[in-house]
Amino acid sequence: MAANKSQGSYYTLFLVAATVLCSGIFLWSGGMGKLLFFVGLVGIAGSLFGMLSIKSLEGKSAMKPSPLSMKLLGAAAAALGWAITLFGMHLTPSVGGRLVLSLVGIAVSLFGILVILPAAFNKNAVWKS
Amino acid sequence: MRNLSLVLVVLVLALAAGVAVYAQTPAPAAAPAAAPPSAVTAELAADAAKAPATADLAKGDPGGSITGTINDVPVADSKAGLTLNDVASQVGQNKIAANFIWTLVTGFLVMFMQAGFAMVESGLCRVKNANHTYMMNFFVYTVGLFSYWIIGFAIQQGGSAGNSNLGGLNSLTAEHPLMLFGKTWGIFGQTGFFLSGHTYDVGVMVLFLFEMVFMDTALTIVTGACAERWKFLAFALSSSLMGALTYPLYANWAWGGGWLSQLGANNQLGHGYCDFAGSGVVHAVGGITALAVCLIVGPRIGKFNRDGSSNPIIGHDVSAVLIGCFILAFGWFGFNPGSTLGASANGNLRIGTIAVDTMLAGCTGTFGALLYMWIKNGKVDYSMSGNGLLAGLVAITAPSGFVSTVGACIIGLIAGVLVCLSCSFFENVLKVDDPVGAISVHGTNGLWGVLSVGLFADGTSNYGGSWNGVAGSVTGLFYGDASQLVAQLVGISTLIGFVFTFSFLLNLAIEFFVGQRVSVETEIAGLDLPEMGQLGYPEFVVKPEPDVLLQAEKQYAVA
Repeated sequence: MAANKSQGSYYTLFLVAATVLCSGIFLWSGGMGKLLFFVGLVGIAGSLFGMLSIKSLEGKSAMKPSPLSMKLLGAAAAALGWAITLFGMHLTPSVGGRLVLSLVGIAVSLFGILVILPAAFNKNAVWKS
Repeated sequence: MRNLSLVLVVLVLALAAGVAVYAQTPAPAAAPAAAPPSAVTAELAADAAKAPATADLAKGDPGGSITGTINDVPVADSKAGLTLNDVASQVGQNKIAANFIWTLVTGFLVMFMQAGFAMVESGLCRVKNANHTYMMNFFVYTVGLFSYWIIGFAIQQGGSAGNSNLGGLNSLTAEHPLMLFGKTWGIFGQTGFFLSGHTYDVGVMVLFLFEMVFMDTALTIVTGACAERWKFLAFALSSSLMGALTYPLYANWAWGGGWLSQLGANNQLGHGYCDFAGSGVVHAVGGITALAVCLIVGPRIGKFNRDGSSNPIIGHDVSAVLIGCFILAFGWFGFNPGSTLGASANGNLRIGTIAVDTMLAGCTGTFGALLYMWIKNGKVDYSMSGNGLLAGLVAITAPSGFVSTVGACIIGLIAGVLVCLSCSFFENVLKVDDPVGAISVHGTNGLWGVLSVGLFADGTSNYGGSWNGVAGSVTGLFYGDASQLVAQLVGISTLIGFVFTFSFLLNLAIEFFVGQRVSVETEIAGLDLPEMGQLGYPEFVVKPEPDVLLQAEKQYAVA
């Protein structure tokens, strides 16, 4: 189907709704702010579900479904590495200790990004078939 | 009768009270006697009298020696004439004016980098996708700017008051704090939505322009990595969210008074996370987000064979690529020296060193990549040479304000070799298809740039005597401060742990609602007609693609 009028309309709705939502945050302390925030939120939801409704018209892409659980596991490993680095700073006051814990955190994150996620996306890659 | 007496008594008392109050009111002070003119004021008046007269100026000033005199200093009180206070005020305003001009002009240079990115990315793509790739680079400027105006700037800089280079920025006062481990950490800014309210301020406007073009640079990195198969709607949504949320959050933590910049003051880690002009904030955020989206979008049809080996997919325009690289290198003189946010005071004269560091790192980056490919393959590779230049520039962006020229050369040279190794790793090991090498140029070398601050910072910079609220100069491991290296590692961990995860989940959500990738038919035809409705080069006769790609496309079309 490629690009079409519906896509343009829903993206315009998204932009308008995002602007209304941000106006709501800006005016949050007044009663109007909360109303605008809510209206913006509804508008964004409407635009996203509108896009979802026309997604199937696009036609098949050159991709096969890959396991969502592995993707989420990869993302979780990346986030876990960050958490190790953050809390490592408070486990020890020594520079050497913090250096080691930072490197451990980075290694865990890289394992998630460079090992788990590519394996997830390449598991059913179309170029293999 | 009694009432009348009472009224009279009250009137008399009121009159007496009024007289008493009037009596106690001090008499209006006599006008102060005109103070005798001080010696300085008298000297200023004498100098003003000696300045070239209007009649002299009317004759023209071809040598420029009499234009701009003491009489051009505005006076607050014309009766009193020029005073020392007038001169001092003008000096202060001149400092701010010089800094405004510097920051704005360097911001304009950075804005021009969008043209460079457009040419490099489109030149490295096939002719059937030229219009689409150019349009992504064109539209990302608009999308990013709007997102940043409505919310991004507020999140990033809403709590960054106190920059004396731009007049104090005193209306940017609200940073949302989080109490953790007995310390206060900045999480996100809260003022500056729509640049309205108290942030309708001249200094804030200058900062907005400069920070906005940086943010847009990060956004445009992703378009290159995902070119030739990214649905335009998905690109527009992804870029909107990146400009509104992903980039501003990390930029706040590093530059907006957030927790990464407080690691020095709160945790005694050097001067906190230091990223002078954005190897991490701009380039690594862009490159890491590009990796997240690239994984989701998948490789182009025909890029990989069944055995996992890869096929080269050659770009259509060498001249666009190399001219684009030069435009980017030119814009980098705005990127790095401009990040002082001023040319006057607070150690800002270091802009000369920063500019030379930038040139040299680009030079050695080109050497690194060009020589590596020449030695490895026996031929000089134009795309990797261009990427080597950019890699050197990306890597020097964070350390440019803190390192010597020797340090800059080493950093650039390593970046030039690193970009070649990284491109090969992502393509041949991870099977990630990045048509322009953006993940390696900006992601890998952005991280290298952040790390290099912790190694090469030589402790000679002095931006007002402190950095991130910690007195003294930023000093790396090779010059005696290992704790600065740890602060940089925390920044790297945040980039790959937080920024990647956040971007990945946002773009997974877009994949669910919109779908990130175009259909097989669209991809085979080229994105220009199906997505843009117009070929990039409508009058050109396009030669058929190589056999290996044609066969792959036929297989997909049949399937």
